[in-house]
Amino acid sequence: MSNQRIAVVGAGILGARITRELLGPRAFGRPQEVAITTVSRRPERLSVLRNSFGTEVKMLSDQNGQAQLDADVTTVIVARAAGEQFVVAHEQLLAGRDVVTTSDDPVEVRELLELGPLAESLGRTLVVGAAFAPGLSCLLASHASGLLDRVDEIHVARHGAAGPACAAQRLRALRGTATDWRDGAWVKRPGFSGRELCWFPDPIGARDCYRAALADPMLLVPAFAGVQRVTARLAATRRDRALAPFPVWLPAPAEGGIGAVRVELRGERGGQREWVVYAVLDRPAVAAAATAAVTGLWVATRTAAPGATGLAGLGATQELLGELALRGVRAAVFEGAEGSEGSAQQENQQESDAEAQVLAKKADTSHQE
Amino acid sequence: MRGLQRAVLALGLGLLVSLVVRFLGGDATPPSTGGWRELEGPELR
Repeated sequence: MSNQRIAVVGAGILGARITRELLGPRAFGRPQEVAITTVSRRPERLSVLRNSFGTEVKMLSDQNGQAQLDADVTTVIVARAAGEQFVVAHEQLLAGRDVVTTSDDPVEVRELLELGPLAESLGRTLVVGAAFAPGLSCLLASHASGLLDRVDEIHVARHGAAGPACAAQRLRALRGTATDWRDGAWVKRPGFSGRELCWFPDPIGARDCYRAALADPMLLVPAFAGVQRVTARLAATRRDRALAPFPVWLPAPAEGGIGAVRVELRGERGGQREWVVYAVLDRPAVAAAATAAVTGLWVATRTAAPGATGLAGLGATQELLGELALRGVRAAVFEGAEGSEGSAQQENQQESDAEAQVLAKKADTSHQE
Repeated sequence: MRGLQRAVLALGLGLLVSLVVRFLGGDATPPSTGGWRELEGPELR
C-alpha cells in the first residue's frame, strides 16, 4: 500500500461516486495503491457508505465542521455543492495539500482561480472545475484543439444534471447572467437568451440550448491564447423558459438521467476554415465522478505544475481521456459535412444512427452497478 | 358590449392556440450527413 491518501470531501451523489471510482484496482496502467478517506457532514450518509464500501474507505464525520484530515492525505477532492467548495479548497491549500474541485458555479470558479498565486507560492496544485462541464468539456476542447492550427472559437453545450444540488445549480445558471468571451473581452448576457439548436449524440439528439451563468469560458480562455470567442450554453425546454420566473415546487430527482456535453471548436487548419465537434454521452454524475477521481489520482501520483488551473491547462489531456475511456467515459468526434444531398446522405445517416445507438448502449452498459 | 365579449373570447382562444403550438412544436431539422465516432486508442495516446 502506498503512503499516499486521497480525501473526498462531500458524500452526496458525486462524492459517493468519486469514492467508488477511486477504489478501482488500476489507474494509468498501474495498480492503484492510494488509500481513501471520505468526509461528510451527515453521519447517516457515512453509515450508508460504510455499508457499501466496508473497511476499504476511512469514513470521517465533519458534523461540527472541525474534522482534521490525517497527515498522509496529500490530495483533496472537493465534492460539496457548488458554492460551498471555496472554503474547503482554501483551507486545504494552506494545509499544504493539492486540491481538486468540482464546482460549476462561475462566481466560485473565479474565486478559486484567484487562489492561483497562493497555490503557486505554496508549491501546490489547485485544479478548478474537474467535473462534467466544466471538466470534461475542458478536456474535450484541449484534445480537439490538437486538430487545428489555430483555435478562434470554442462553444460548449451541456444537457442534463447529476444530483439534486447539480439540478438546483442548473436552474440558477439558466436564471443568471452568462459571461461570454468575445474579441478579447468578457460580455454579460442574460440567461435564457441566444437560443441555439445543438446536436448531441443519440438518444439525446437535437436540443435547444440557451446562454446561462456557466464557468466553462473562465477556464477555457486562459488555456487557449488568442481565442476570440468562448461561449457556454445549457439545454433547456421552452417549458423551462416559460416557468423560469416562478419558484420550483417539485424536488429534483435523486439522480438525473443520461446527459451529454458537446464542444465545438472553430479555427484554421492548413489555411482553411475548419470546425471540430467532440461530445461525451453519459450520466452526468458518473462522468463527473470519473473525471474528478481520475484527476485526483493523476495529481496525487504525478508532478503537476503549481498554481490554479482548469483541466485544459493541466497538461494531461491524453492521459486523462485515455483513463476515462478505460472507465467507460468515452469521447466521440462528429464526422460529416453539412449540405450534401442524395442517397449517400441517407446511408451516412443510417450509419451514424447505428453508431450513435452503439455509443448510447456502451455508455449505459459500462456503468451498470 | 356583446361585441367586446366576442373580441375578448377570440383573443383568449387565439392566445390558447398559440401557446399550444408554441409548447408542442414539431421536431427540428435533422443534420444532413455525418455521425459520431468514438475516439480510439491511438487518438488517446
